[in-house]
Amino acid sequence: MTLQGWVPEIGEFLTLAEVIDLAFDYRGNTTVVRVDGTEIEGYVFNRNRDAPEPFIQIFDVAGNGPIRIPCSEIRNIRFTGRDMAAGNSWQAWLERREREKAEKAGPA
Amino acid sequence: MSVPLSQMWTVAAYVLKQKLSGRKRYPLVLMLEPLFRCNLTCAGCGKIQYPAQILKKHLTLEQCLKAVDECGAPVVSIPGGEPLMYPQIGELVDALVKRRKYVYLCTNALLLKEKLEQGVLRPSRYVSLSIHMDGLREDHDEAVCRDGVYDRAVEAIKEALRRGFRVTTNTTLFDGASPLRMRAFFDEMMGLGVEGMMLSPGYSYSKAPDQEHFLRRGRTHDLFSKMLSNARKHWKFNQSPLFLQFLMGKRDYECTPWGNPTFNLFGWQRPCYLLQEGFAESFQELMESTRWERYGRKSGNEKCQDCMVHCGYEATAVDDTFSSWKGFRDTLVASITGRL
Ligand code: SF4
Ligand code: SF4
Repeated sequence: MTLQGWVPEIGEFLTLAEVIDLAFDYRGNTTVVRVDGTEIEGYVFNRNRDAPEPFIQIFDVAGNGPIRIPCSEIRNIRFTGRDMAAGNSWQAWLERREREKAEKAGPA
Repeated sequence: MSVPLSQMWTVAAYVLKQKLSGRKRYPLVLMLEPLFRCNLTCAGCGKIQYPAQILKKHLTLEQCLKAVDECGAPVVSIPGGEPLMYPQIGELVDALVKRRKYVYLCTNALLLKEKLEQGVLRPSRYVSLSIHMDGLREDHDEAVCRDGVYDRAVEAIKEALRRGFRVTTNTTLFDGASPLRMRAFFDEMMGLGVEGMMLSPGYSYSKAPDQEHFLRRGRTHDLFSKMLSNARKHWKFNQSPLFLQFLMGKRDYECTPWGNPTFNLFGWQRPCYLLQEGFAESFQELMESTRWERYGRKSGNEKCQDCMVHCGYEATAVDDTFSSWKGFRDTLVASITGRL
């Protein structure tokens, strides 16, 4: 299960705070849409709800940062980048290794 | 146990000083992650899954040393990523030695031989090369998802020992590990001449791709009891014997997440090396503003229930050694007799 490609619809059933939490947990770039309509693409590495003015922090796609964005300035976050935690399971590696071994051994 | 006396003494003096000054929470080992980049992609690792711009970045030497000074812990562990890919690794280690910090450089050893030949690192009683070894050849190569890594690491260990380095191994155990094979692995590592071995059960990183093989508490007790009961005389462990007894189910401890604070590109990680629940900008902020009561087994936090990792519990074991005569006596007895 990955959120890659997801465009959240914030409303009655999904709050911005929940989307921020999901973006913080997401191991890929996202696009943060500000209230004024401007966008910034990057990796959300921090969020602080307990601060007097709650905020998120990101490194943008060029690696600049940390950039702090107050939560009050965020309208939405789209999950636009590749999910780096998806796939690559151990099982997949074992299967690939078995396949490679069989190929090396040649036809029986 | 194999921790050198000078190191034991430094840690003991530090802990006693903290206790005498009435400091309730103190760091023991700084986990300094200068970068997340690695030349392996182990399935059990939750440290490397980042977008390219993050993997390309690394801390500056100044940021690393500022963190070391802010934290003040007597021991600095440098995991990663792969620290030998950090361009200033030699300067960083030298600067830590100058500060008389005991350094564990945690490496998968793929680049070690080359770096030793280039003279990037210098042997010192303060520096231990801590080689990631998850078991015998087949088990290790399986854990790191690449064939041939074990042999390269063994070659590098021999070269490091030949050059007079302190060498230890660090091993993460996952579900399905065979106690018998692990015992054979301990024999093999001691046969190579390493100073000691470090063990920890697999971390339940929520972001690690391989979730099925993490150890739950009952299985951890079972595995470590079978592995470490009747420990052979020549096995040396470079960690607290009380922590190993905890893994065997002989002791019950609560986590000390502030014992091994973690600093990386994102700042000071809350609350521990394992969980990433946010970052503080300074060590003081980390210590003062983290809601510590939300973590550890007693807190009821679901993420902490099966966790028995060294970065949460070894500091508890060390604290126990210096908190009571019983803890001190038990540590001494286990250290002298080698019985766990
Ligand atoms: S060698 Fe270490 S840092 Fe690199 S992928 Fe494996 S566990 Fe992760
Ligand atoms: S028990 Fe401690 S070390 Fe383990 S996840 Fe919880 S806070 Fe982190």
